[in-house]
Order: sequence, then structure tokens, then C-alpha cells
Amino acid sequence: MLRHAACGQRQIDFELIETADEEKPMRSNKIIFLLASIALCSAVLLAVSTGKYPIDFPTLGRLFFSLIGLEGTGNFPAQSALVLWSVRLPRILMAIMTGAALSVAGVVFQGLFKNPLVSPAILGVTSGANFGAALALLFGASAMMLEASAFICGLIAVSIAYQIGKRGDNSVTTLVLAGVIVSALFMSGLSYIKCKADPYGQLPAIVFWTMGSFNSVSWGDASRGGALILVGLLLSYLFRWGLNPMALGDEEAMSLGVDVSGRRACHILIATLMVAAATASCGNIGWVGLVIPHMSRMIVGADHDLLIPFSALLGGVFMLCMDTLARTLPGGEIPVGILTAIIGAPCFGYLLIRTKRSDWST
Amino acid sequence: MEILSVHDLSFDYATNPVLKDIGFSVEAGTICGLLGPNASGKTTLLKCISGILKTKKGQVSIGGKAVGEFSKKAIAGLIAVVPQCATVAFSFTSLQMVVMARVARLGVSGRPSRKDYQDAEAALAELGLEHLKNRAFTELSGGEKQMVLLARAIFQNPCLLLLDEPTSHLDFKNQHVILDMVQTITGAKNLTTIITLHDPNLAARYCSRMVMLKQGRVHRKGRTEDVFEERTLESMYGMKVSIENSCHGKCFVMPLADRGKSTLN
Repeated sequence: MLRHAACGQRQIDFELIETADEEKPMRSNKIIFLLASIALCSAVLLAVSTGKYPIDFPTLGRLFFSLIGLEGTGNFPAQSALVLWSVRLPRILMAIMTGAALSVAGVVFQGLFKNPLVSPAILGVTSGANFGAALALLFGASAMMLEASAFICGLIAVSIAYQIGKRGDNSVTTLVLAGVIVSALFMSGLSYIKCKADPYGQLPAIVFWTMGSFNSVSWGDASRGGALILVGLLLSYLFRWGLNPMALGDEEAMSLGVDVSGRRACHILIATLMVAAATASCGNIGWVGLVIPHMSRMIVGADHDLLIPFSALLGGVFMLCMDTLARTLPGGEIPVGILTAIIGAPCFGYLLIRTKRSDWST
Repeated sequence: MEILSVHDLSFDYATNPVLKDIGFSVEAGTICGLLGPNASGKTTLLKCISGILKTKKGQVSIGGKAVGEFSKKAIAGLIAVVPQCATVAFSFTSLQMVVMARVARLGVSGRPSRKDYQDAEAALAELGLEHLKNRAFTELSGGEKQMVLLARAIFQNPCLLLLDEPTSHLDFKNQHVILDMVQTITGAKNLTTIITLHDPNLAARYCSRMVMLKQGRVHRKGRTEDVFEERTLESMYGMKVSIENSCHGKCFVMPLADRGKSTLN
């Protein structure tokens, strides 16, 4: 069967066919990425112009030109400049970054744990962050302290889970169980804080914080959280192909020559940094990290080479649309965390019904 | 020339010993079959050879050099493993599966080049599998999966090829198709191939050497024509067998009717 001696004419035919169907998926991937980028741009335009204080496109254009110094500052209402610059832009930026961070972290964790049903919260990062935020609210800390406390507790939760897993047999199953244990621990801590908190001031603040919202995002939040997320996204992008062999399982990856525990630690660290940064500045936002990776996989396939950048793009678009919807709903703004679950859960149910059996072989 | 030699190797999971004082060697260009009943340590031995499990005592050497002295990446360039039955959670295409053999040659942030993909395609074509390259691995039949994994192992360009029960999920014909392929490749590339097998008849047909394990020890080893005999097989499997000669001059082993007396082990 070794096909070294194929006759000349047939080989040429083969080459023609192969180049033809090799370029087809490549071109369609380019189109998919182009469409997603157009979607992102339109979502940004929509988000900038709509809201309680609508800004029409001509004003938006003049604002933009004045920003880059092509037009004077007198041609538009000062209020629209304020709304755009101090309220909407940081919020939009943070929504996109958070969506991208949660989606990419979801892809990374699903790849590492060889399971398409894993979410970024699997190792306890969000429970840790919730506990940290509640703790800060209990002691009446400043907004920046709250962020720091949530971020650090998120990291602590994951490092405890990772240490338990490593001291066990260092397998994926032990790691998942360790995540469950740590989550339970921090959740009970959160409940304790809630029970001790002042029911008129602190308790509602804690409850609202855990619902997740971009409501109070300032340039400070957006630059601190955004910078951390950006670093995480870039590193995940850089190491993306290595997730392919990791997704085959520890022993198979090892026999292919992969340093499994080193690579896993590295990916967990990067993904945790992103999720902790996102959660610390915007609270709990569920479902994005579960649904977007799965949707992306349906569109561009399982290869992490495309999956990582595409899920970042799709996650950003999804989160921005959800946030725009959350703040323009009639009857006042609701926390976006509620909306992502209301829309994400049925979407995921639909995907479960539609997905071919072979995609769920675990 | 002896490529693989295993010397005085012992291994245990926690407290119960799995392998004790295993020693054998295999030359280039030969297929060596690992036989033995369930839980005799076949798969564990294979994992010790490939370096997935760390041995406490004894050593495995390739070309005279201990496996422990090589880096993980260097081992992947010497030893390729075809795993038992791969369940993959995500639907990678066959081509993406094969090109993963390149991971040992790439850095932490490396990804395969266009040339790597072309070479991977060539590796698939070498086994006559070019039509599968864009198919999802998860949707392939058991035989096709094994073939793609074999293509990936060959693409690692090893000198030692390890197969863990490659026939366990295959139908009668596919068992022979895959083993025929292994035999052809072993000859063509002068590989040293080690296969664990449940079926002694497949072992007798394809392996020129055999290592028989029983309860973690070497029960018998040597050339197939020397060790493939009734008494050895009977004591290894703990059942009555009879070796018959077919009209084509091949011998095959048959269990003797002894109903009701055998127990599972």
C-alpha cells in the first residue's frame, strides 16, 4: 500500500485537486473572521450611539474628528462628549475585553480538561473573587481595594485548588474535584459574610456586585483590568497551538513529547489572571465562558490555532451586545450577568439538542 | 543490532508490585509481541518503556543509552506510541491529529508551518489515507482511527514503535489490515516494533519474537518458533490449549473444551 510509485499523470491530477480543496477552507475562514470583525465594529457603533442619552451619527463623526484634532471642539454639545468619553467608551472597552477574556479562558480550560462542558469557573476563580469582593464591601473598602481584594482572592482560590490537585495524582479529575472543594469553601465564606453584613447597606451591595455589571466602569477600571486581560489574551494567542496536543489527554500528549504539567500550569495561570481581572472589575458574569467557546468550535472547528482568536472576537461581540441590551431595556438597566444567563442558557440547550453525537464523545 | 534493551526492570503502583525483574532485548527490523493474561503488566511495561511511567529499579535503553538520559522531546523523536483506543473530546481533523506529532520539534509558542502540514499529508498518503485528511477524527471508524494514529506515530519519525493492543476494537479483517501495515512499515523503515496483543494467533502470525508475561514477570521469551508451544501457553493463560497445523503450513492455537472448570482471572 505504500504509494511511492503512482504514475505521473495521476499524480498531477491529485495535486490539482488537493490545492483546490486546500484553499477553500482557508478562504472561508478569512471570510468568517472578516464577518466577525464587521459585527464587532457595528456593535461598537450601536453601543456608542444608543442609551439614555442618544448620540446621532453626525455628532459622533464630529466628536471623532475633534478627538484626532481635525475639527474644533465647539461643533457638538459638551454633554455628548462627556457621555461618550467618560461613560460609554470605558464601558464598551471593558465589555469587549471581558467577553474576550471569559471566552478565551473557557476555550483554554475546556482544552486542558478535555471536556466541552467546562467553564472558566471550574477551579474556583469566581467563587474566590466573589468572596474577596464581599469581604471588601463588609469592611467598607474603596472601589480600588475591592477590585484588588476580589482579584487576589480569585488567584488564591485557584492556587489552592491547583496545589490540592498537584499533591494528589496530578490528574485532570483530581484537579476538577479540588476546584469543586475550593468553590464550596469560598461560597460558604461568602454566605457567612452575607449573613453578618448590614442588611440595609452592605447586603444589597454584595448581592448586586455578584450579579455582574459594567455599570460603574471608569477609565481606571478599564485600564487596570483591560491591561491585565490584554496581556492574558496575547499570551493565550501565542501559546494557542500547544493546546491541541494537550486536549488529547495527559498520556498521549506526554508520548508526543509535551511537558504536560508545565504547560498546564502555564495555561491555568494565564487564564486565571484574565478571569480574575474581569471578575474583579465587573462581578460575576456567567455562561459566556461556556457558550461562546462551543459556538466558536461549531463555526471554525476544534483547532485552537483559529479557535482562540475567533472565540475572543465572538466573545467580545456577544458581551458588548448583551451590555448594550442590558442598559437600553425599557424599565431601567439590569445587571448584564442576568441577561447573559437568560440568553446563554437557552442557546446552550439548543446547541445540546442540535449537536451531533460525535462532538460529545466524552 | 539491538535497539531496545530492558534490563532488570521493576515497577509498582503504590504498594502492589506490577512488574518484577523484566529483562529482554529487541533488534531493529523486528516485531516483538508482548503476550500475557489481563493484569499481567503488558500495558504498564509499555508505559515504562515510553517513559510515561518512571521506573524505580532497572533501566530501559535505546541504542545503548538509557532512556532517562534523554529529554522528553528527544524521547518523542525516538519512541512513538499508538495508544489503545483514543477518545478525543474535540473533533480535530485527521490532518490536525497527524501534524501534532511535530509538537516535540516546536518551541512553547510554536505552531506547525505550511511545510509541516504538507509533510503530515504525505504521511497520511503513505498509508493510503489521504481521503481522510479533512474528516473529523471522532467520526472515523475504529480501523480508520487506528490507521490515522499509526500515521501520526510514523510522522514522529521514531526508531521504536510501541502499539498498545492495536486490534482490541477492530473487526476480523481490520485486525489484519492494521497489522499487515505495521509489518510493512517495520520492514521498510527498519523499525523496532513492540505490540501488546490478546490474541496469540495474531502474535504468532506477525511477531518474530515474543515476550510472555505472567503476574508481572517474564514467563518466557524468545523467537516465536521456539516459544509458541502448548505447554508455555497453557501455563501462561491457565487453560488447556492445543496447537494445530493448518493445511497452509501455519500453526494456530485453539482452546480445548474444558467447560465449567475455568474461572476468570
